[in-house]
Amino acid sequence: MCLGLLVANSFLDEIGPYTLWGMGYGIAATTLLVAVFLYALRRRSARIVSRLSLGRARSWLYFHIYGGALFLLLLLMHTGFRFPTGILARLMWFLSLWTVLTGLAGLALQRWIPRALASGLSIEVLYDRVPDLIEEIRRKAEALAATCAEPIQTFYAKNMAHTLEGPDRRWIYYLDITGGVQARLRRFDYLRDFLSTEDQSKLGELQRLYKTKLEIDAHYTLQRLLRTWLYAHVPAAVMLLALVALHIFTVFYY
Amino acid sequence: MPAKRKRHKGFFGTVALPVSRNYLNPRSHRFLFGMGMLGGLLLLAYAAADFFYFQTGHFLSNGPLSSAHAVHERQCDSCHTEWNSVPSDNCASCHEDVSDELGLYSFDNHYLYRSGDFNRVVPSENEMPCATCHPEHQGRDAALVDVPDQRCTSCHPYESFSSGHPAFEAVGKPDDTSLTFAHVSHVTEMMAERDLQHLEQACIQCHQLDDDGRYFKPLNFEEHCDSCHLTTSVATPRLPIASADRLGVLTLADIQAGNVPGSLWSYYTNPNEFRQVGNRFVSKSPLHHRDPWILANLRRLRKQVYPEGGLADLLTTGVEVPPHEQEALYREAIQTLEGYAEELRSRPEQEIQDDLDEIHMLLNWIRHDLDDPFVPLDETSFLLALDRPTDALDSQTIEEIHEIANDLAEPCLGCHQMKKLTIQRVQKDQRTMRRAEFNHRSHIIQRGCLDCHDKFGPDAFAHIKEMREPLEDQVFHDGAEIQNLPDIESCRDCHSPKAASNTCITCHQFHPSPSGRTHLVGKPKRGFHER
Repeated sequence: MCLGLLVANSFLDEIGPYTLWGMGYGIAATTLLVAVFLYALRRRSARIVSRLSLGRARSWLYFHIYGGALFLLLLLMHTGFRFPTGILARLMWFLSLWTVLTGLAGLALQRWIPRALASGLSIEVLYDRVPDLIEEIRRKAEALAATCAEPIQTFYAKNMAHTLEGPDRRWIYYLDITGGVQARLRRFDYLRDFLSTEDQSKLGELQRLYKTKLEIDAHYTLQRLLRTWLYAHVPAAVMLLALVALHIFTVFYY
Repeated sequence: MPAKRKRHKGFFGTVALPVSRNYLNPRSHRFLFGMGMLGGLLLLAYAAADFFYFQTGHFLSNGPLSSAHAVHERQCDSCHTEWNSVPSDNCASCHEDVSDELGLYSFDNHYLYRSGDFNRVVPSENEMPCATCHPEHQGRDAALVDVPDQRCTSCHPYESFSSGHPAFEAVGKPDDTSLTFAHVSHVTEMMAERDLQHLEQACIQCHQLDDDGRYFKPLNFEEHCDSCHLTTSVATPRLPIASADRLGVLTLADIQAGNVPGSLWSYYTNPNEFRQVGNRFVSKSPLHHRDPWILANLRRLRKQVYPEGGLADLLTTGVEVPPHEQEALYREAIQTLEGYAEELRSRPEQEIQDDLDEIHMLLNWIRHDLDDPFVPLDETSFLLALDRPTDALDSQTIEEIHEIANDLAEPCLGCHQMKKLTIQRVQKDQRTMRRAEFNHRSHIIQRGCLDCHDKFGPDAFAHIKEMREPLEDQVFHDGAEIQNLPDIESCRDCHSPKAASNTCITCHQFHPSPSGRTHLVGKPKRGFHER
């Protein structure tokens, strides 16, 4: 519909912010921006939204995504597909572009990361529980290592202890969710041949704890990206809203 | 004693990790919103500081002003009025010194500009502010006058110049020069006489560009025609002298004796120019352009047939002019009346002097009305048309008067045309396309005259080139009555989207230009609808 309007506009009038068409695009873009922004407030008012039957979260998300993309199109139509000349207008233009592009990046991350995590890892964890779980693993591993023979304790102190201290982010997980895990586990195999059957069993338990920790690291790395992305998206969107309000005021005032 | 630990809800994974005992609320994004709000507040604070403290207005401005308005960069209120955008009055305060009282930038004037058609004037309910078509803050190099075609086509239903633009109105129509003129024979003789090598050289002998190169200087008999026409050997035919029982013309002595207004010229005319045969016939030689004796007799003959000539009685030539030239008729009539009045100034009677004072006052009043842009020209009843001949004369008498007039004006009719016993007014300025601008100088560099003005037929000028002999059989195949204007396709050869500019404003102007304001017919500005 927007593209149809654009074609009709191109025949009937100039495409730019000063025409009635352009002002219409601006009003529509602002309305859409506010409506899209409501998605963020929905999380804070989930109970009210649920009680008033205002749609499922999925519907809100889809509206947020498609509405945001449409907002950018309306904005470009409003500016006549030209780079604005004023400072305020340029700031709004940059922030709009930035917000929508980071939103699209976030959308891509939300499509890719859950799929990647589910494809190569044997465990699912909540991001917020990662420190607790690693602490639990460390506690278990330390307790187990204390009951092992000296070579295993040395091996633990040298190769495992620092890894179990806390969550680690590793770049390799962005490229390969199982990246480096097998190579690091192979060190356990070298030691295993020199141990008794009982110690081999304990080493196997330590190996499982270590592997779980590495998989939690993978979760931590990718899930952290999902949360960090919001720092690029949300503040810019809020600043954009403030500038749009200022823009509307100046339009009416002047 | 160790504190009692809560029981686990269960375990997951190969290493039996405990399931969370409590529901984990999603992490609040309050910090993210806080960051955004802080950033937004900082920006708003900067905007406020820029506006109120630094007073540059740069942050809120939609962009730099155009070069012409750059001086107002820091003075927003020069153009902007709070809560009222940019009223046109603010523009007019500079562009028309104080305000646009004449409404030069109004739609009224746009409708009238060049067209002169009062029927096209509509109430200005849809009047748009200047900024609608001339948006500012587009950068220093922006040209405010570059109004896009869509502004025009929103009212004028033409798609573009390339497609949908109507044919030129003047093309193919007989013009109103009222001259009998053959270009081919004139060009032929001129090329031979002045040894010209190119046809275009012949064109510019008469069609001389005015100072700005857009159009041509008005044609002038003394400058362009006198060397060949109305030589000393030219005379009127022998004409019957009017008497009580005979139709005819007045002699110089009769005119002097009549002492009617407008006959002062007769005292300065050489009697030897007249050859009188008894009291029956008279002829005159040499003749002058706008010869007063011929025009006076012609006016007298016209008065006999059309006694209610009205304004026409005060004019030397016809009253049929385009709307944009009507004002000139009134001014000429006033001039004639003033001449009549001046002739009576030497009379000693006090009553006449008093009447002359009153006439002088009336003429000043009329001139004042002409100068007053709020007085529409068409509301006056000053102009009466030569509608129909008088009923007092039979058709045979009228026929005789026409014959005498034709004989009287025979030397004139070699070039001029006569209608209703009146020499028709010549359109001297050679302007044909009233609604568009055209710059001949800028075009002549790239194209010859005949590349566009090619309506004389393909053979005519080719013949001149080769033989330089007058084409007797083709002399009347061309003439001033042929506009010889190029049609729109000729313009489209160059003015197209991929070549020279073809926007509306390439040729047309919305507002009366400072130099073109004389084209405002009647000038009914804002007061027009209130009257």
